[in-house]
Amino acid sequence: MTDVTIPFGVWRADDEAAISAWLYADGDAVAEGAIIAEIMVEKSSYELIASATGTLQILIAAEVPVRAGAVAARIV
Amino acid sequence: MSSPDTATAVRPARRLTIARAIAEAIGQEMERDPDVLVMGEDIAKLGGVFGTTTGLLDRFGPERVRDTPISETAFIGAAVGLAAAGMRPVVELMFVDFFGVCMDAIYNLAAKQSYFSGGQVTCPMVLMTSVGGGYGDAGQHSQALYATFGHLPGLKVVIPSNAHDAKGLMLAAIRDPNPVIFMYHKALQGMGWLGTVQRSITDAPEGDYVVPLGKAKCVREGEDITVVSLGLSVHQALDAAGRLANEDVSVEVIDLISIAPLDRETVRASVRRTGRLLVVDDDYLSYGVGAEIIASVCEASIPLLVPPQRIAFPDIPVPFTPVMEHFVLPNADKVTAAVRQMMRISN
Repeated sequence: MTDVTIPFGVWRADDEAAISAWLYADGDAVAEGAIIAEIMVEKSSYELIASATGTLQILIAAEVPVRAGAVAARIV
Repeated sequence: MSSPDTATAVRPARRLTIARAIAEAIGQEMERDPDVLVMGEDIAKLGGVFGTTTGLLDRFGPERVRDTPISETAFIGAAVGLAAAGMRPVVELMFVDFFGVCMDAIYNLAAKQSYFSGGQVTCPMVLMTSVGGGYGDAGQHSQALYATFGHLPGLKVVIPSNAHDAKGLMLAAIRDPNPVIFMYHKALQGMGWLGTVQRSITDAPEGDYVVPLGKAKCVREGEDITVVSLGLSVHQALDAAGRLANEDVSVEVIDLISIAPLDRETVRASVRRTGRLLVVDDDYLSYGVGAEIIASVCEASIPLLVPPQRIAFPDIPVPFTPVMEHFVLPNADKVTAAVRQMMRISN
């Protein structure tokens, strides 16, 4: 099992971020390195990458405010 | 949608937003054809305010990916000239609402080039532009204007409803020898601040494929009524069809994909079977896509069980206040109610 974490240091820490879209559904098979979600910060878009190959478990839904370090999903 | 879920059996799924699909298609075609270049406001360094050109500047450099001044008159005029000289420009008109200052280049120059020269000088340009409201951007940034462009001879006009089609349509549009207006709906781009319709994020092949310009698709089969839609309204129609299935109403949903050329035959074939027709679009009502579809069916003397109906945006500017804007925009509830009413009076 691997955590997929919202990365630190990519945008200013006090800017609010949100996952704009999950590109895969909960329970989908994902491959390591695939772009699995997009994170939106102040109209700029960042990618969330699958850290392993396996089944995606989404922990934070789209359009909910997130902070760096939060575990957005697990890959099992 | 057209992205067949069965395709995931032979290769891993690869889901894209429409924004990513457009950027991927342009990048692949720039790789293949050195004559392709991109111009527009904030398309280079920023990657497009709607994400349509993400990553292209880094890959192809500022010669082929050009940020322009805020002068649509200049850079869309320049694109017409580049196209006449044999290049294949893709230009972005950030909001379709801004067409006023560059329309002469579009409808008097680009659209007529091939006709006026007896086909000796074509105009292989793509004008991509964002359409639609629903996020409180008011009357000068929320219009759809499909029919405004569909009305003018010499232009092809396409509107994708999902990422698979967006990529294949963009590849087809760049390769087409004549001008193509590629309209993408803001609510389907997969940009968070605009809201996202999850169904528009689809699997799309990594390689080269085209979705033909001018061909509609049946995206849900049904027997009782045909709902004709495009872009965002495809999803509203599909949502309504899902609910109505619980009431034993079987809804067929057509995704027009293109309004010029308009695939009248696919619509007629469907209505011949169902006998009922509802058209849903978010452009202004009068002289619009709905009127053209309904006329196309009536002209073919197709027997109808109930008068054909249309849902569109009323003939007023788009209101700024969200409450008022959503009151007038089409949605799945309005589609559901219209279908129920049509079934009630014809059963």
